[in-house]
Amino acid sequence: MTSQDNGSKNPAAKLLGRKRSPIERVVPSEEESSSESEQSIVAMVKEMETETTEARDKLIHECRILLERDDLNTLDKEFHKKFLDSPFSHQLPPGMVALDASAPWLLYWVANGLRVMNPSWLERETQRRIQEKVFRINPHGGPFGGGMGQLPHLAGTYAIVNALAICDNTDGCWDKINRSSIYNWLLTLKREDGGFQTCFRVGEYDTRGVYCAISVASTLGLLTQELCENVVEFLVHCQNYEGGFGGVPHEDEAHGGYTFCAVASLAILGALDTINVEKLADWCSQRQYNDEKGLSGRSNKLVDVCYSFWVAGTAAILEAYGHGNCIDKAGLKEYILKCCQMTTRPGIRDKPGTKPDFYHTNYGLLGVAITENTFQLDPSVPNALKINSSAINPDDNSGLESINPVYGLPSRDLETFYKHFK
Amino acid sequence: MEGYEDVSPLPLDTGFKDELCQIMYTDEYRMVVGTARALMERREYSERAKELTGRVIDLAPAYYTAWNYRFDILMHLARGNVELLNQELEWIDEVTLNNPKNYQIWSYKEAVLKNHPSPSFKRELPILQLMLDEDTKNYHVWSFRKWCVLFFGDFSHELGYTESLLERDVYNNSAWTHRMFVLKNTSPSHDHVLEEIEYVKGKIELVPQNISVWTYLRGLYENFLNANYDDEIIQFTSTFTHGVEEEDETDVNVEIESSCALEFIAHVYALRGGAMTRKAINAYKGLATKYDPIRKNLWELKISRVTKS
Repeated sequence: MTSQDNGSKNPAAKLLGRKRSPIERVVPSEEESSSESEQSIVAMVKEMETETTEARDKLIHECRILLERDDLNTLDKEFHKKFLDSPFSHQLPPGMVALDASAPWLLYWVANGLRVMNPSWLERETQRRIQEKVFRINPHGGPFGGGMGQLPHLAGTYAIVNALAICDNTDGCWDKINRSSIYNWLLTLKREDGGFQTCFRVGEYDTRGVYCAISVASTLGLLTQELCENVVEFLVHCQNYEGGFGGVPHEDEAHGGYTFCAVASLAILGALDTINVEKLADWCSQRQYNDEKGLSGRSNKLVDVCYSFWVAGTAAILEAYGHGNCIDKAGLKEYILKCCQMTTRPGIRDKPGTKPDFYHTNYGLLGVAITENTFQLDPSVPNALKINSSAINPDDNSGLESINPVYGLPSRDLETFYKHFK
Repeated sequence: MEGYEDVSPLPLDTGFKDELCQIMYTDEYRMVVGTARALMERREYSERAKELTGRVIDLAPAYYTAWNYRFDILMHLARGNVELLNQELEWIDEVTLNNPKNYQIWSYKEAVLKNHPSPSFKRELPILQLMLDEDTKNYHVWSFRKWCVLFFGDFSHELGYTESLLERDVYNNSAWTHRMFVLKNTSPSHDHVLEEIEYVKGKIELVPQNISVWTYLRGLYENFLNANYDDEIIQFTSTFTHGVEEEDETDVNVEIESSCALEFIAHVYALRGGAMTRKAINAYKGLATKYDPIRKNLWELKISRVTKS
């Protein structure tokens, strides 16, 4: 399908001096029919071959083969446990030095993945070692940095607080968290327009920083008026014309990660009604593709299992707040199980053609939990810290812990944790 | 380490025997990062300290502490020394090209440019172009480009630039959103908006099934024309939907050219309301049953919403 040659045959292309012309692509309907229904999903016929379609067509082909297979219908928890146990029993190879400033993330991704699959898989001894590492790196109890001698960082602090939240206050670790020091530090990172900078002198300044700050402050009971001033305004301005959110309030492209961060923060702040929820739901739903069934993070980008949390989590938050469910959970679950698990190696991968890693394993597992539940606010405590979930189909369930989509944590752990600081 | 003999590197391990997630550092890494830690601890703001942060960043670009320390050093050394700041920008460019996906570079570069007495957009354009040529949807680069455009107050290159990228790949959503960023910041005249709509229609005719361009079209109407969708745009849109919105029952044998067009026209009819509501419902039903069934839940939410109103 070389488009160059067709150019001269297409009068419109010639007229407008276009280098490439539309490619007619007719997809046989047999390939498209899904087993549950008689309908066929018809790919629209006119397509132009570009970098975008080349990459996507290749992925669709790989996904289709996997989606038709009959193995990998269930979540192989025992197998993934092996993958997540490894960094807790072996040293990491020198090549992983790229993650040297991300030790908090590693602790959270790995420990949380285990915990979501089965609370007892995060053993008491591991919890003890987690808190030991955390407080050895940060002897003053926070704010937290990425490793020995590293500066405090919002992402690191978020990841460590989340990691500690699933440690059952082992060795009194919750009482070692220096809340007042974290609070004062959060204030130094805050700018007048309501955004937070990830690190004191130089650092990113986007909805991710806001989410890390607001999430931590809400679980530790530090959500004061002073801290929240103008934050909602900052976030509202990050919603762009597409309906999703960009990183900063200057009409950045809508992105799954930044959208989650903005929406989760707004939920915590009780301000979801300040944004255009309908457009947001449109945008979340647009992220799901008929062929792959998974979610992408931006328009015309490829699906990636991590958006099963960032985007489906955003959708779950909307659902909890009474705005309905805008994604196809069953379809998404199929993508995660069939396209992102492998029979040959444990862990969950981004998409066919990539290798599993801790990040995608954690968010893939959280994604499965989202696809198997509906989410509601607790009528007695209508607040983001207390979102209830109920199984859609108890007979076809991976048996994961109930999770809170705002925090990416098991609901039970979150509840014990925040109540500790009340 | 040569040039740092007077410094004892600080440890990188916690010292626990059974430390979790411990990385097997190479000797070089221990030496370089440990020495940088020691210099930072004694607040040494010297040329050799700056040099060392560069080596840390080379080994672990996401090591944000080194970026911060380097910034402090630079501010101490530069003090209006334009030459030094220019050298720093050159150095950043080199690191950028080697680490296109890095998070830290951009806020660092913004901080350096803010402290430069005579920053220039012209200097930044080639590297931005190079980066985006290499990776046309790189989020950080696009976001930084927007920051530059606002910082330098110069929008003159942007529409032409996105046009060239859309010529190369009409599906590039980053380029479409960049156009909206330009328009929203430059208060375009009514005529300019109409011209833009013509441009968009041309791109739709080229490839009707392209969510980026339809979302952009809706954005133009919402931001500049009070969401006042004229009959002409409805007429134009319906050429891609083959009358699906006119039929109360979806005919599964009818193929259309663009589900995005059907979504667009459904939205417009839902807005118009009254007798048009029926057409909106037909379109949503078509999307739910045949043309975009994975989004069935959303289409059903839409149907219940328009039915109620």
